[in-house]
Amino acid sequence: MTVFHFFNCAILTFGPHAVYYSATPLSEYDTLGTSIKAALVYLGTALVKLVCLATFLKVSENDSFDPYQELLKALIGFVDVAGLYFALTQLTHRNIAQNHKFQAVGLGWAFADSVLHRLAPLWVGARGLEFTWDYILQGIEANANLVFSISLAALGSLIWLRKNKPKTLIPIIYACAVIVATMPSITSYLRRGLGWHFPKVVGFELFTSLVMAFISCQLFAACQKPSA
Amino acid sequence: MGSRKAREREMLDSVCSMIALVFFLVTCVELCDAATVVDVYRLIQYDISGAPFGSRLAKLNHHAGSLHFPPGADLSRTVLMIPVRDLNITFLQDYIAQRQPLGGLLFLLPRMFSFENKDDTRTNHQNQESDLLKSVVAELEQLLIHSNVPYPVYFAFEDDDIDAVLADVKRTDAIGQPATATTGGFKLVVSAPEPKKLISPTITNIQGWLPGLKTDGDASQLPTIAIVASYDTFGAAPALSVGSDSNGSGIVALLEIARLFSLLYSNTKTRGRYNILFGLTSGGPYNYNGTQKWLRSFDQRLRESIDYAICLNSIGSWDNELWIHVSKPAENAYIKQIFEDFSSVAEGLGFKVGLKHKKINISNPRVAWEHEQFSRLRVTAATLSQLFTAPDLLESTGGLVDSRHFVSETAIIRSVKLVAESLARHIYGYQGNNIQIFADDSSLAVNPSYIQSWLDFLSRTPRVAPFLSKNDPFVMALKKELEDHTHEVNVQHEVLDGMFTFYDLTKARLAIYQVASVTFDLLLLLVLGSYLIVLFSFLVITTRGLDDLISIFRRPPSRKVKTA
Repeated sequence: MTVFHFFNCAILTFGPHAVYYSATPLSEYDTLGTSIKAALVYLGTALVKLVCLATFLKVSENDSFDPYQELLKALIGFVDVAGLYFALTQLTHRNIAQNHKFQAVGLGWAFADSVLHRLAPLWVGARGLEFTWDYILQGIEANANLVFSISLAALGSLIWLRKNKPKTLIPIIYACAVIVATMPSITSYLRRGLGWHFPKVVGFELFTSLVMAFISCQLFAACQKPSA
Repeated sequence: MGSRKAREREMLDSVCSMIALVFFLVTCVELCDAATVVDVYRLIQYDISGAPFGSRLAKLNHHAGSLHFPPGADLSRTVLMIPVRDLNITFLQDYIAQRQPLGGLLFLLPRMFSFENKDDTRTNHQNQESDLLKSVVAELEQLLIHSNVPYPVYFAFEDDDIDAVLADVKRTDAIGQPATATTGGFKLVVSAPEPKKLISPTITNIQGWLPGLKTDGDASQLPTIAIVASYDTFGAAPALSVGSDSNGSGIVALLEIARLFSLLYSNTKTRGRYNILFGLTSGGPYNYNGTQKWLRSFDQRLRESIDYAICLNSIGSWDNELWIHVSKPAENAYIKQIFEDFSSVAEGLGFKVGLKHKKINISNPRVAWEHEQFSRLRVTAATLSQLFTAPDLLESTGGLVDSRHFVSETAIIRSVKLVAESLARHIYGYQGNNIQIFADDSSLAVNPSYIQSWLDFLSRTPRVAPFLSKNDPFVMALKKELEDHTHEVNVQHEVLDGMFTFYDLTKARLAIYQVASVTFDLLLLLVLGSYLIVLFSFLVITTRGLDDLISIFRRPPSRKVKTA
């Protein structure tokens, strides 16, 4: 019955992406191409990040939290943001409304992230006889990551694609974008520096992702209203 | 719109076929990522003249259970994990005798019996507890060796991982929920091939020859004295049968005596007028089959020149009495002389030696002592042993309980002194005098560290003869050691008699998995299904509105209305 468990965890990890695509108007406007292009851009940024990490980072023997290394990792993490910028602005999309564009890009981004980071451990680990909660927690983390990606894409599109924004909201937008972009560093600090266990970290990620999604939604709605 | 849907459907089809391919690959790949992996040792599997004994299976793939199982539970797919401390022999005896079905047995032995245990286990506290354990394990071993068990039986040593697993299993059993496929729990898996018969197992006899001083006046052959010990063992778990006492003590004593006499014989001034023949024989547990073949291979002249032979068997854990077992009556002149030599030396060393006579029954194939093989060919022989009664077939052959823990070097040292001095008296003709040739501070003193190192080595080497190949490193080591001490070494390879047949596979690795029950998986599927449905509805409502959600479920009726 272990293939069963793999099947369950796979549904948990990749199901929400498919559900998101079919439930929202994305499927009606056939934005699959955009998502696939965003996934490919993610692949490219992942390779660039890999090369940078391999060149600049040194491997530490113990699993402690080294601030200098974490800062370096965060800086390299901004390559992610650059990639997202590229996906949002430079790729030629067909005539899609802006709020569908960011959703499609965010979805493709999150799907590529899940496949690259979670499919291999799932395939190798969840099929064995031994049962652990790890893969279910990983699936929940994938869900949180989906929400994060869409929020980041939304904030990104607000920053780069919308030209007329209410002046008061701009700092808030930038602040939220920075928080969401540095999420990986924050979670690794929690895990290593404070020594939180995996379930606690996943719970924190889930909570923060919902909060961030709510805030981004409000910001987006606020910017939708024509200014002045 | 239609073409878009068609393209989507095509993509979906290709994805589906990819998933099917993936599932096909799944069935071909086997994984092993258990929480615990333990070394286990299988119960021996053998036939005596076609009658099967021991455990007949090796493969194991069942759930774990403990002795606290609810009465009347079906155990045919359960492996019972039994620590020998909690073992109730009568329960097991009944279970095996009634041939009740069982998935398998896993016995957990205390670390005391492990030969890999590097702790100093020679402290004598907890003596009573260890004696009790020893008798329980000995009884268990005899029960298992003489039963025909149709399921796998394994032995493992207690350690923290297995103890934790056992505690968990006991807990779930106490609740009344034995581990099965539907309730989850621990699964024990040993993946092993079908055990195969060992074809023509070889037994190897090693002999060393120390020639005596032949002066020009001697026309005939010098008389010979033989010292023999059998070196192989037999036990419930062949991979654990190290036989420290039976007959590790005999081997060590023989090697030390060889060393001492080689020192004496190296100088022509001190070389005796007797040849000394050292024999390390195999096939001991099987009616001393190897000794018989070895003697049969002797030249007639050599056999006639043997004055007497001393066989050493289990001389490592006695306190103050040893026994000389003979098959000729005590009135026999040769026996009298041997016994006198030995008892006078023993008196000088401070312990007693007794004489025990057991008649040989030629028609009975059972050979209880090694000297009986000599006696059947009319060579005077005796066995020196701490055992009073003759052991039965496959008894006292160095099994599970015979570990280093229970053997003392002092006993072996005293035995060596006894035999060496007695032999020296016979060879050099010192009758009745109280001269110590191998005195403690002389250059011919018995070397305790030699004895200790060889005893330690033997206590780490399982020596069941069918599993020792022709050029096994252990056999080569014995040969080399004899070559150091004697003039000429011969190695004789024979095939073990057809009465005993053995099967391979003595060691395996047990993987313990913690598995979730099927109900858990189904529950998880249900939860995930409802989560995805809720997510779907939520997204539809927030992005397209509630009407859209309702319309998804109401589309077919509206179409019907249209056509009508």
